[in-house]
Amino acid sequence: MRISALLALLLTVPALNAGFFSTDASSEPQIKCVYSGTDGHCVEPILKSQNELVITVVGQGVAPSVTASPAQAYALAKRAAVADGYRQIAEKVRGVRVEGQDTIKNMMLVQSSTRTSVEALVKGANVTNTTFKEGLCEVEMEIALSYSRFLQ
Amino acid sequence: MRSRNGNRSFLFTFLAISTTVSFGADHYYIGYRLTSKNTQPIYETLSVSKAMQPCHPFTPSESITLERLNLENLHTLLRREQTAFLEFAASHELHIKSNDTFRTINPQTLNSLTLPTYCYAVEFNDESVTITATK
Repeated sequence: MRISALLALLLTVPALNAGFFSTDASSEPQIKCVYSGTDGHCVEPILKSQNELVITVVGQGVAPSVTASPAQAYALAKRAAVADGYRQIAEKVRGVRVEGQDTIKNMMLVQSSTRTSVEALVKGANVTNTTFKEGLCEVEMEIALSYSRFLQ
Repeated sequence: MRSRNGNRSFLFTFLAISTTVSFGADHYYIGYRLTSKNTQPIYETLSVSKAMQPCHPFTPSESITLERLNLENLHTLLRREQTAFLEFAASHELHIKSNDTFRTINPQTLNSLTLPTYCYAVEFNDESVTITATK
């Protein structure tokens, strides 16, 4: 009887230290920084009910080699850049599906491929800035996420 | 707080817009798709079709006014003013599908941008066309 009581005590003390029986509800969960801002500080990309979360991306597009005019080249490059911008917004908001495949033959890597895909419906994204230089078009796009928009 | 006269003019304007959109405008279905491969556009199509019967229910939303030259039809006008219309329509809703493949040689990226086909109220004037989106 004494031995079993002693055993139970020995098992309970580490469990209490590990916090299994802790009833302290005030402890806040530790939130990790998911990505860093341009200035190196941690930017917390968590949507809260009080404020909006603005996501900014830069999409790039190249004009086809054969076009009827410089204006057409600009227009087509901008379309491709906007498509790239929408893809980046979808990747940030919705996430990316990643599939990888390696083929090993006779203990040697003979083929390696990675496929990423994303599919999303984007509402309310805006083009804020457009630059066209040396055949490369860059569009800066942003989307503001808010609770009210998600609840629509 | 608006005055009584302000309320009356606001009500009159709202009724005028609602009446124009409901009875004076034609309804069109407009959709768009762009496919780009390795950041270069390879396929683009804009489909415009007049609705055989008025869209129901039609709740007017934002609108855009485009310049009309030589009494051109909507398809010709949208092909000319495609960029302006797409920026207007894309701000509401756009579908993106992307597939990227990375191998040791020949990396490939394919983006497909689709503007879902929706009903728009189109009001033709001599020198302009007003396109109103639905909510």
